[in-house]
Amino acid sequence: MSEVTCTMQESEIRTKLRNWIVKHTKAASKTAFTDETHILEEGILSSLDIVEFVLFIESLRGEDVDTDDIEPQVFTSINTLYAAFFTQVT
Amino acid sequence: METASELAVRLTKASRKKLWDVYNTFNWPDALQKDAWYMPPELISLYGTPVYDALNEEQRKSLSLYELGNFFSLVLQGERPLVQGLVHRLYAKGNTVPVNEYLHHFVDEENKHMVMFGEFCNRYVGKVYPEKKITLSREYAKGEEEVAFYCKVMVVEELGDYYNLAIEKDERVDALVREINKVHHVDEARHLAFGRVQLAELFERYSPDWSADTLAGFRQWLADYLRASWGDYYNPTMYRDAGLADAYELRQLAMSHPAGVEFRKLASAKIVAYFIKTGLLAEEPSL
Repeated sequence: MSEVTCTMQESEIRTKLRNWIVKHTKAASKTAFTDETHILEEGILSSLDIVEFVLFIESLRGEDVDTDDIEPQVFTSINTLYAAFFTQVT
Repeated sequence: METASELAVRLTKASRKKLWDVYNTFNWPDALQKDAWYMPPELISLYGTPVYDALNEEQRKSLSLYELGNFFSLVLQGERPLVQGLVHRLYAKGNTVPVNEYLHHFVDEENKHMVMFGEFCNRYVGKVYPEKKITLSREYAKGEEEVAFYCKVMVVEELGDYYNLAIEKDERVDALVREINKVHHVDEARHLAFGRVQLAELFERYSPDWSADTLAGFRQWLADYLRASWGDYYNPTMYRDAGLADAYELRQLAMSHPAGVEFRKLASAKIVAYFIKTGLLAEEPSL
């Protein structure tokens, strides 16, 4: 059991984010989910799921996320999530 | 049955009789009692798991301080939108004079609780743990937002009160910690009494006009909200602060462990029974 740090490659991070979402979504269709899919708009995750998702993102980054500094638009898609949380630290 | 307005008259009287000053109630010592527990061991989120069993007593007591800091912080964080919502409802159209009078006390007491928890956390834990919530706007049926607001009030206060009662009675726990929990419980007992009646009245007033889909969606949200509220008690940052490795994995372990599931069921029994009795939930949610 070890905490993942941001030494991971971009593709690995994206895969982990995608897998987490597919595992936790209550939405019926999971097959069409891509890195552009609108996560909140299409009801893939709810605002209550986001709290859990933020903790998962923290575990990937290896550091806490300050949600006071985050706009909800960050959670639009895998692309926006990757850009917001992982581009400065890799 | 007594209405919320009638009940508010009695509660206002009790609040005025027990009025207290948060700035002069506690003698804040330089340090907490050494060798005491801060959260009773049975309420520690890892209790009953192999990870907890592997800790020595010193590590367990250290963890109990961060668990308590997280508990005080999550209650404080829950009270922020609560106060915001109560202020928004002060002098709202349709409120009776007694309800407005009591809402003033409700806001006053919640503000004092935040002062008290903030002071404790900053002095002895070094910080107030931030919340991880993101607020998203959504559409509500008529009255649904009102009902949801008081459901949130009841969840944060009922779960918190389970801890307050257990901690204030526990002689193994630091004296100041017990005192804070006692003070909180006394106020919360009134808030819960008001919330129970007010929420039932609102649900009876609005839900008959909701569609079957709205009601089902609301019940799903409430079950999810209760589950998510429990998630706040398993904070990875708190585990890291206590010096434990693999904090996120510890959270997953503790939440999914049968001991954790059983504890959440026990601690939620009162609020779940209320939600089912009023029709806010149709069945017991998995926690």
